[in-house]
Parts: sequence; structure tokens; C-alpha cells
Amino acid sequence: MGEASEVVIPVGGILDVTGEVIVMWIILAVAAVLSVLVTRNLKERPGRLQNMIETGVETLDGFFTGIIGKHLARKYFFFLGSLFIFIICANYSGLIPGVGLTKYFKAPTSSLSVTLGLGVSTFVFLQIAGLRAGVKHYFKRFISPIAFMLPLMVLDEFIKPASLALRLFGNVFGEETVTHNLYDLLPIGVPVIMMVLSLLFCAIQAVVFTMLTSIYLEEAVETD
Amino acid sequence: MDSSAIIALSAAIAIAVSTIFPALGQGLAAKAAMESIARQPDAAKDIRSTLIIALSLMEALTIYGLLIGFILAAKV
Repeated sequence: MGEASEVVIPVGGILDVTGEVIVMWIILAVAAVLSVLVTRNLKERPGRLQNMIETGVETLDGFFTGIIGKHLARKYFFFLGSLFIFIICANYSGLIPGVGLTKYFKAPTSSLSVTLGLGVSTFVFLQIAGLRAGVKHYFKRFISPIAFMLPLMVLDEFIKPASLALRLFGNVFGEETVTHNLYDLLPIGVPVIMMVLSLLFCAIQAVVFTMLTSIYLEEAVETD
Repeated sequence: MDSSAIIALSAAIAIAVSTIFPALGQGLAAKAAMESIARQPDAAKDIRSTLIIALSLMEALTIYGLLIGFILAAKV
């Protein structure tokens, strides 16, 4: 689905490096370097950079705590938080001038492979979290109201990540395509209309992806 | 009418229909949310976050239509 990505650095077929992969590497490198720089010497009275990052992490923590409660939010913050940071960086990378116009740099989430990868990792995470909350409870959930529901519940487990992936991909890809078409129409000024809207939509999509993941997580681990 | 004309028409119908009905649904959801915020401004924060989830779930239907539209448009 979508356009096939152009190969930038061919590495034996399946490991080919495309523009999306390069942007993902940049995001990962920036996130990793920033984390190391900030946490290298933590101070009781934070400096400018540490203060900024702390505020961001506290906001994220408060966001997840509001949805799934303090205990779960702290326990699974490593996955939900990194998911949010990666998705919002990947979405916003499409707004950097030049990204999306050449084959070397493309917004990662405008490719179905990337969003499906996120969906698959979410699926694995939800199953593991459900199993860790209790194996008996995990299997009981599939037949909880009546055993007749089993096929539907199993199907539901696969539809959840697929719809997450398709939603993110459709939004970002559609947005990038519209911006690109407007750029072809008139390169100066006109694409800004769509880019202003993207500022809003990119953030909302990242929020929605992580919010739905945390709601599914709460469903998966709830013991009553 | 040749086949590419039919494909173009079906792409247009796919995006049109999948825009109209979620838009109606979103309108109803936004109306209800705004009314309840007006009635109870203290609950505005909770209502807003629930509204965003509901709207984005409806938005997904439009996005599916858009994807089908892109796939069909590539085949014209």
C-alpha cells in the first residue's frame, strides 16, 4: 500500500536502507545523545536543559497517570513514553524543510512498514503484559462473557494493532501527499496552509496512538 | 465509459461517502461535548480528552476511505 520507497543504500534486498530509515536513525541518535547528555550529571537544582527535559517527562507521566493510574503508568512508562517520543518526532520530521521532497529524507510514519512495525511491537507488548499479569486471567479474558465469543475476541486482538497502524499511516501519508500536491501547485506560500494543520494533526495522532495503547494495556492487565 | 473512468469515479465515491457520514457523527459528538461543557465547565478537561479519542476513532473511518481513494487513484 502507498508508494514503494526508493532504495538509497542497497544492502542485499531485505536490509535496503530507504529515506525513512535514515530519518529514523537521525531521530534515534538525537534522542539517545540527548538522554545521555541530560542524565550524565543530574543535579538537585536542575540546569536549563535538565529542567526542560524533566518538565517534558513529568507532563508525559501525568498524561499516562490520568488514563491508567499511577501504578500501571510507572510500571510501563518505558514502552509508552518511548512510543510517544518516537511517534511525535517521526510525525514532526515531515515538517522539516526538504523532508519528503527528495528520496534521502522522508517522514518515517508516512510509510506503512514503519507504522505496521509499531503496531506489531504494540501487539507483542500487550500480549506479554497480559501474560505477566496472570496466565490464567489472560486466557480467561478470551472467553469471559461466554465461550461463544472466542473467535471474535481473538480477531479483536489482531485488529487493534492493525487499526492503530493504519490510522497513523493514513493520517501522516495523506497529510504528506496533500502538502506535496500543494507544493507542485505553487511552491511558495500555499503548502503552509496544510503544514499549519499538520502541526495540530501530528501531535493529535501521537497522543491518540499512545492513549489507545494505554487503554488496551489497561484492558489487558486488569484483574477484577 | 472505459475502465479508468470507472476507477476514477469509484475513488471519488469512496472518499465522498467516507467523509460525509463520519463528519455527521463527529458533528453530533462535538455538539454533545460542547453542551455538556457549557452545562458543567468544571468537567471540561475530562470531556475534552474523551472527545479527542472519540473523534479520532471516527476520523479513522475517513482515513480508510482516503487510503482506498489513494490506491484507486494510483490505478487510473
